[in-house]
Amino acid sequence: MTLALPFGLGVLQAAVLLALAPLLRGVVKKMKAAFQNRQGPPLLQGYYDLAKLVRKEPVRSEVASWVFVAGPRVYFATAVAATMLVPVALAGAPLEEAGGILVLVGLLALGRFALAAAALDTGSPFGGMGSSREMTVAALAEPALMLGLFTVALWGGSLNLGELVRTTAERGLSLHPSNLLAAAALFIVLIAEAGRVPVDNPATHLELTMIHEAMVLEYSGADLALVEWASALKELLFMTVLVNLFLPLGLALGPSAVPLVIASGLYLAKVFLLAVAVTLVEVTNAKLRLFRVPELMAASLGLGFLALAIRFL
Amino acid sequence: MTSQDLVILFAAGMLVTAYLMVGQKALFTTIRLYAVQSVLLGAVAIVMGVADHRPHLLAGAVLTIALKGVLIPWFLMRVIDRIGIHREIEPFLNVPSSLLICLGLTVVGYRVSTGLAEGARGPAHHVIGASLSMLLMGLFLMVTRRKAVTQILALLTVENAVFLVALGATSGMPLVVELGISFDVIVAVLVLGILVHRIVDRFESMDVSRLSKLKG
Repeated sequence: MTLALPFGLGVLQAAVLLALAPLLRGVVKKMKAAFQNRQGPPLLQGYYDLAKLVRKEPVRSEVASWVFVAGPRVYFATAVAATMLVPVALAGAPLEEAGGILVLVGLLALGRFALAAAALDTGSPFGGMGSSREMTVAALAEPALMLGLFTVALWGGSLNLGELVRTTAERGLSLHPSNLLAAAALFIVLIAEAGRVPVDNPATHLELTMIHEAMVLEYSGADLALVEWASALKELLFMTVLVNLFLPLGLALGPSAVPLVIASGLYLAKVFLLAVAVTLVEVTNAKLRLFRVPELMAASLGLGFLALAIRFL
Repeated sequence: MTSQDLVILFAAGMLVTAYLMVGQKALFTTIRLYAVQSVLLGAVAIVMGVADHRPHLLAGAVLTIALKGVLIPWFLMRVIDRIGIHREIEPFLNVPSSLLICLGLTVVGYRVSTGLAEGARGPAHHVIGASLSMLLMGLFLMVTRRKAVTQILALLTVENAVFLVALGATSGMPLVVELGISFDVIVAVLVLGILVHRIVDRFESMDVSRLSKLKG
């Protein structure tokens, strides 16, 4: 296969996911509002916000160096690159020959590092606090993510996400305990990485409780738009990985039109179900005290490890 | 989905509840987790009994669910309600390190299970591995917690684990033995409940480490 076709597919897939990501956040906000008997912002509010932010001139501190400018751009670029490694509706990722699970985790870590370094750059106390907190959570979430993914990789016999999803799609839904445990571990990681309620509150205006928000407090205008958009994309990315690895029903095995349409519809439905689950967690839990977050992450790490142990030992 | 898959699923569920008990400080939640664990144990016995046509396992399962899934949790919750102490404030070891140690214990449990003739492969491997891990976790819970109620729950977890080993390694104990053990457990919990009341009366705390002050 030449590189042009998969690359074109990758760009198309990234564009579609980028277009969907703000909608996902809107849907979660709307459902959360419905649970709380509020009306909530309109579904398309995410797009309006992004459009407004892009038009505004970014205000940067005069002491900020190139690191501050590069932060959101690297964050956004790594998130977009990561989408090309992930199967969405087709059982196979566009750029799956470029790398598998390890590249995916590495790309996300690179983006997070760039943003944390950028937040330290201006020397604002909130930026530093946000970076430190984000890194604390990430240091615990990343091993849990790896363990969960490795468990599935061990089952499917490949580290490549495209191949892995093809194998799981052939074998169908599995209720083996190690898969369930890995799914639970990855669900907790999803909540931590997306900055959802028990770990972080995406809607908070109280600086002391912020994690992700404190880190990006200094950004404005188009810079902030990039960060927000990439965060939404990352959340959608995690959901995509989760639904495709553990609920691989109805994925299109070849690039023909009818199965692809059905698979896309099913994909949207599965992501919606996962969004409902995330919303339920958000509505029924209070945000954890910062010092209790490591306990939750240790539980996630433990679930991942148990999954691997049951599979391996 | 075969009956063996179901057995592995329920056994793994029991392991997870034991693991969550270690990670939990609220006593009510710990008791509920124990109840779930006992119901899962009953489910393992039911699946094994139906699949292998061993009706006496069904009787044992019903007994397990009724006594350990409903009666004992209800009794312990009443004890806690009366005393009014709802949380494990200061375990000897903090929660993240306890969880990490329990992961190590899981590895040990699974490795040791391969030494048993039945435990080397197949579903029995998972059942025995999970139950030995639970046994170790129960013992660990007993030595790291201060509250008397948590220690009772740890003892009960160990008892559940032993029951699961018996299911995995043999074709289940005879009904007479099961009945005997069940009533032993009931009496033990009742006596321990009274003991907890006495400890709280004396020290106005459930902290068993204070018992060492009784030395003359």
